[in-house]
Amino acid sequence: MFSVGSMLCLERRMLGLVGFIGGDLHATFGRLLRCPVRSSAVQKTSGSTHHPQRVWLSSQVPLCGHHTPKHRTGLYGPFTLGSSRGLLSLPLFTQRVTLSQGPNTSTAKIRLRTRLVVTLLFGGGLLGTWWYVRNEKRQNHRMQRIEQLKKVALGQGDFSLLDHRGHRRTKRDFLGSWVLLYFGFTHCPDICPEELDKVSAVVSSLDKDRSLPAVQPLFVTVDPERDNVAALERYVKDFHPRLIGLTGTPEEVKVAGKDYRVYASPGPKDEDGDYIVDHTILIYLVNPDGLFLDYYNRMKDDVQIAESVRNHMKSYVKL
Amino acid sequence: MSAPNSNQRKACWGARDELWKCLDDNQDNASSCEKFQKEFEASCPAQWVKHFTKRRDFLKYKDKMQTEGFEPADGPKESRS
Repeated sequence: MFSVGSMLCLERRMLGLVGFIGGDLHATFGRLLRCPVRSSAVQKTSGSTHHPQRVWLSSQVPLCGHHTPKHRTGLYGPFTLGSSRGLLSLPLFTQRVTLSQGPNTSTAKIRLRTRLVVTLLFGGGLLGTWWYVRNEKRQNHRMQRIEQLKKVALGQGDFSLLDHRGHRRTKRDFLGSWVLLYFGFTHCPDICPEELDKVSAVVSSLDKDRSLPAVQPLFVTVDPERDNVAALERYVKDFHPRLIGLTGTPEEVKVAGKDYRVYASPGPKDEDGDYIVDHTILIYLVNPDGLFLDYYNRMKDDVQIAESVRNHMKSYVKL
Repeated sequence: MSAPNSNQRKACWGARDELWKCLDDNQDNASSCEKFQKEFEASCPAQWVKHFTKRRDFLKYKDKMQTEGFEPADGPKESRS
């Protein structure tokens, strides 16, 4: 027969064990050492059933019908019963189990249920903590990156350009929407069409999600000599319907390019005056506050870019 | 001269791909692919022809480096004193 007192002692030891796992050694030793008298008393009364053997807690399974994998290994795994000196260490549970294999199966059931509940709660708590910490870490990473990009401070200035319909547009006109910005030129052999196709695909895929705000794709020329309003109009209609082409005087275009540290260098002209402009190939993401948030190079495909934009939108905090 | 539109671009890329396939099949023997070469030059602006030719040379070079390996350049020679 086990008194309530000895049951309390068991629970206390359990908490001590839990404390041990949680790294709280003070709790562990405090609890483990608090009731040596009781346990030795128990040991004395049931000396006949106390013998060293491997005990599987799952042997309790048929009695109470619980079957949690947690109980098979780890904390409550098979422990060899030591001598009475092992009383203050882990095998205590299993000792109790052997001892309670006798007539008192109901108390054993209760104890098992309690243990199960505690384990599940503890396991759940661990999982929850891990998940929370992981999310916090990710959020921190994102914030760090945004801070870094803010320091780089691209796109802080203002630009004033003509769109492909001949209307003047400034940076202010695009505040309030997410912008995907690409610098290129219409005489580009393959790269600019590919990148603009990519941008169009990203915008289309994000359009499908009604919960997200609409993204505004922009194409700014690095070749103002040839890319006038008419040329841009012809060019942009091959891509996403919302794509806006922007051009202006060489000065205006230079200001816009400088803002984003775009490198552009026209190559040598050939017989018919054609030339290729060497330029940085990047897609810039600008948030509704006009802040540059991220960039995507040729390595990123449209799925990855869409995913990144989605993440930025979700973690967007209005200034 | 206005920039090629989408259809013209695709025609040029198609001709380029045909030419490159022919060159791949004939171990870069330019004489056996003259027909494709002419087609390519007709479909694409002159600048693009130059650009794509250079691109092919670069890709071949890169391939060679990756498969055959290369000898790293010697560092600066030690001064004799």
